[in-house]
Amino acid sequence: MSKVFKALADPTRRRVLQLLRQRPMTAGELSEHFAVSKPTMSAHFAVLREADLIDAAKQGTTITYRLKLSVLEDALLGFSQAFGIGLGPTGSADEAVPELSKGKMS
Amino acid sequence: MMIKRLAFALALAILILAVAGGLRYAEDAGMVGAEGARRTLQILIGLVLAAYANLMPKRIGRARRSPKAEAVAQAALRVGGWSLTLAGLAYAGLWAFAPLAIADIASMAVVATALAATLGYALWSFTACRSAERATVGR
Repeated sequence: MSKVFKALADPTRRRVLQLLRQRPMTAGELSEHFAVSKPTMSAHFAVLREADLIDAAKQGTTITYRLKLSVLEDALLGFSQAFGIGLGPTGSADEAVPELSKGKMS
Repeated sequence: MMIKRLAFALALAILILAVAGGLRYAEDAGMVGAEGARRTLQILIGLVLAAYANLMPKRIGRARRSPKAEAVAQAALRVGGWSLTLAGLAYAGLWAFAPLAIADIASMAVVATALAATLGYALWSFTACRSAERATVGR
């Protein structure tokens, strides 16, 4: 459950989940909505996958992501969105994925 | 994954049977009244329905043939999951707090409505998806 909270704490990842609510999207389609680098987006996707909030299906070179939220997780997403939990600069890899900034420093 | 799902379903079924057996024993031993035993079991059934429906949108299965079909299936699972989870919670709430005569009818009505909404939405959206796909092929 802590993985779910960690995943939902970041505004970029919440936005990804909101976009996937509309329909499944490829990694490219999702990345178009954010002004961040591909490695940063990949790190966000990895966190969401680790929390089992999204599913990835690879077809050739394209990865399509599908929403995989339980009702409780969906409600948590709604609450965190409504009350602005974890609001910060959208798309910042260091803010969103601390592991990335640690990696940069080492 | 399939084994995990089966184990979860079996665990819930065993829980219901164990509690039902325990309540019958407690009722026979005079530890709990008939109404209390009935309410407890019905509350448990409502919570089990909510727990099971909570995971419904997570069971997305294999990828569908088209993005449209995928979006429709996702929406149907979400609507079903939400309506049945809320119905399960309402079922449990009615059996916990409403008078028996009301709980008896209202709880069934709530679940029946949620089922109708789930099946109705799924049927409507899949039919619309099929029609859209046929229209695309026909062009």
